[in-house]
Amino acid sequence: MKIIKILPIAAILFMGLSSCEDTAVGKQEPVVANTVENLPADVGQGFDPVTGRPQFSGKFTLYSFKDNTIVPTSDSASANWDIGFKGTTIITNSGVSGPGKGGAYVTNGIFSEMKSLDASVSFTADSNGSLAVPTGSGKGWYSYNPQNNEIIPIAGKVILVRTADGNFAKMEILSYYKDRPTLITPTTAGRYYTFRYIYQPDGSKTFE
Amino acid sequence: MKLFLTFFVVLFTLGSVQAQEDSTWNETLDETIVTATRSDRKWSSLPMPVTVIKKEQIRQMGALRLNDVLTEQTGLLMVNDHGTGVQVQGFDPDYTLILIDGEPLIGRTSGTLDLSRIAVGNIKQIEIVKGPSSSLYGSEALAGVINIITDKSNGTNTDLSVRYGSNNTADVSLNSQFRKKALSAGLFVNRYSSGGYDLTPEQIGATVSPFRNYTVQSKVAYAFSPESSLMLNARISDESQNAFANIGTSEFPDVVSGVSTLKDFNLNPTFKTSFGEKVKLTARYYISNYQTNNILNKETDNSVYDKTFFRQTFRRPELQTDFTLSENQFLIVGIGMIDESVEATRYEGIKRYNTKYAFLQHEFFLKSKTQFITGLRYDAHNAYRNQFSPKFSASHELNDMITLRGSAGVGYKAPDFRQLFLNFTNSVAGYSVFGSQEVNQRLVELQKTNQILDILIDTSTFGELAPESSLSVNLGTVIKLKSGYLATANLFRNDIRNLIETQPVARKVNGQNVFSYQNLREVFTQGVELDVNKKYEFNKNTLNVSVGYQYLEAKDRSVLENIKAGNAFRRNPETLETERIQKSDYFGLMGRSRHSANVKFFYTSPEGISASFRTIYRGKYGFGDLNGNNIADVQNEFVKGYLLVNTSLGYNFKQWDFQAGIDNLTNFRNPQFIPTLPGRIFWTTIRYRISQSNPQKF
Repeated sequence: MKIIKILPIAAILFMGLSSCEDTAVGKQEPVVANTVENLPADVGQGFDPVTGRPQFSGKFTLYSFKDNTIVPTSDSASANWDIGFKGTTIITNSGVSGPGKGGAYVTNGIFSEMKSLDASVSFTADSNGSLAVPTGSGKGWYSYNPQNNEIIPIAGKVILVRTADGNFAKMEILSYYKDRPTLITPTTAGRYYTFRYIYQPDGSKTFE
Repeated sequence: MKLFLTFFVVLFTLGSVQAQEDSTWNETLDETIVTATRSDRKWSSLPMPVTVIKKEQIRQMGALRLNDVLTEQTGLLMVNDHGTGVQVQGFDPDYTLILIDGEPLIGRTSGTLDLSRIAVGNIKQIEIVKGPSSSLYGSEALAGVINIITDKSNGTNTDLSVRYGSNNTADVSLNSQFRKKALSAGLFVNRYSSGGYDLTPEQIGATVSPFRNYTVQSKVAYAFSPESSLMLNARISDESQNAFANIGTSEFPDVVSGVSTLKDFNLNPTFKTSFGEKVKLTARYYISNYQTNNILNKETDNSVYDKTFFRQTFRRPELQTDFTLSENQFLIVGIGMIDESVEATRYEGIKRYNTKYAFLQHEFFLKSKTQFITGLRYDAHNAYRNQFSPKFSASHELNDMITLRGSAGVGYKAPDFRQLFLNFTNSVAGYSVFGSQEVNQRLVELQKTNQILDILIDTSTFGELAPESSLSVNLGTVIKLKSGYLATANLFRNDIRNLIETQPVARKVNGQNVFSYQNLREVFTQGVELDVNKKYEFNKNTLNVSVGYQYLEAKDRSVLENIKAGNAFRRNPETLETERIQKSDYFGLMGRSRHSANVKFFYTSPEGISASFRTIYRGKYGFGDLNGNNIADVQNEFVKGYLLVNTSLGYNFKQWDFQAGIDNLTNFRNPQFIPTLPGRIFWTTIRYRISQSNPQKF
């Protein structure tokens, strides 16, 4: 019995190894795998002297998966960025948000298990009143806990992204708070994203 | 299912062993119960799970309010949500009907009927029927019925009692009964007050602010002839409590203070007459009015900060006929109508609704060992689809030792006023709750005035609220052993559809939420309740020992389906890795303890000494979701299990009773999750009884 069980696993491992080799010997660039920590997403700039509420710039922090870097907001009308963050709102370089070929699709699953995009994935572009990554608690990537005012990335949510130049990436948001603390208190600074992603530069729908 | 089968195999095996002639044992079997059939029935003959708590026990506990008594009973758990309510078989307090002498109490806040409104000084006994097994009670009696039977006058006597305890808590009671020929009357007057307490002195405002409560209850009965009698029951309760809150920050406090009052009034005339031996007619009318008023003023300039009121009226005429069909068959047929209205700050205009109903209950005794009760009930609601609720229960005396009993029934609960029409914004905390009929319009209004940060759930997709309904099955047994043990066991399963729950639907710019109501598709509760009683007698001393235990599972079906499909996840807070939730990780619905238990000792001596020692355990339960998967699955989402110890000691000397006690002996406190638990309480009571023997004093 044991041998039968082990054999398929070995086979999968072998296949996995060989496919890696294929991409390595091919001409394509390797996939980009990164974890981005503490990406500020319109962090409050002081407090309104009248209302006492924090003041925000209202601008998105734009990010390029290919270059693994923040893109200046002045470049928002270009295809240099793939995804943007402002508070809990996430935009893609598509539709009303930007000139790129971008889009997104939020799915359920475990990040590492998603080896490729299957046929059921249908990317949508940002439109007025409906972003590709839906806003609202429990609708997109986060849930809001009214008891302690916490924004929690929903475990098992993977955002599949079509980048500005039409390639594919998968990303998982890990934390919304600075230095991704285990315990969030009312004084923990929010609007700091920690996320990981894998970007496939060759235009294929696989992530290996 | 397997559990049920094993259970009965064991029972039948036990049953085949012929029991020996039993000696005197627990009196519970012979207690008279009225709730299940509205006529006197022996506890042991009833096919549904019934608990009865007698006056002596209530007195020995030193209980003041109904929640003090119920919290020590097996399978009853106290839930604190806008008052102290009772959880029965895993159901929220909304699903248990609370009756005083058979008539329903009204006035629920957030679904909870605060049990501390009810004084226990004039209670003859409390009857608890679990499951929707009686057709005599309508929409609220899904989880069960708790019927408070007050003293009946069968003589002339008066009790006066004074109790004082920690937190400046004082209780003064007068309980008087009078009887002369065909006229009998009773009067109960109670004043209950407390200085409150503060478990979090670092915060402004007390945990419980000072309050006082008056209850006056009277009963008059007159028998015109042996066939006909008229009864009039009346009850008034009046409560007021100081209110105090900080609407500013801890650094810059902005204090508001005021008074909240609660008035509750019931009137219930009943006329009974019999036509010959076989037909008995009962006509009853019940009117109840409940109102609250709250006012909060700003302490800085004494301006009105918040002013609210709530008025509810319940009117019910009912006609019931009891037929004795034959020696072993009894039939009850009844019709009635309920007219309810609500007027409140939180509702637009006066909201009314109306239910017409008919019920039928047939009791059939097959020989002396088997009994069947069949019930049917039809409720026609003016706003919802009509509801037909069939019920069936049966008991069978297997032998001298073992009686089996089982019941099954459909229960339902229509969406209440609150769930439909509520239009409420808490002025201190700033959150809003809207009924399903109101929420869409209110959200548009809030959006227009830029008060909404974002919409969490699109409420327009909710549709109209559907009535909640359940199918319940109870299977149990009563085992009496020759050695003096009395054991009862009950397996229960409730499948609930269309459960209505509060959901946050939008976030406001002030950081608070907008809530509304939604049908949470399917939930089930199941478990087992076990009670073992033994009475020891030695030289006229008696010691009653009882042990109770409840195992409970209450789960949401859609969550279980998600887990099965591998679509339920959680994140490891350390590694941030996502993992799949296993079936064993899902504890169940919030606020449900898997294990709860009690061990109680009641002792009386022939010299007039009495003592009690009671321990109550409540196992851990989920309080909320912190990791974003909507279920209680990780350590910090649970309230830890806890044990409470209560003791009392009493001495009876002629007409005097002296009693003292300590509640919560170990001084257990949990200010964050159980603010209603004040810590250790010392109390002492003096009671003076003027009995029939010296009526001149009365």
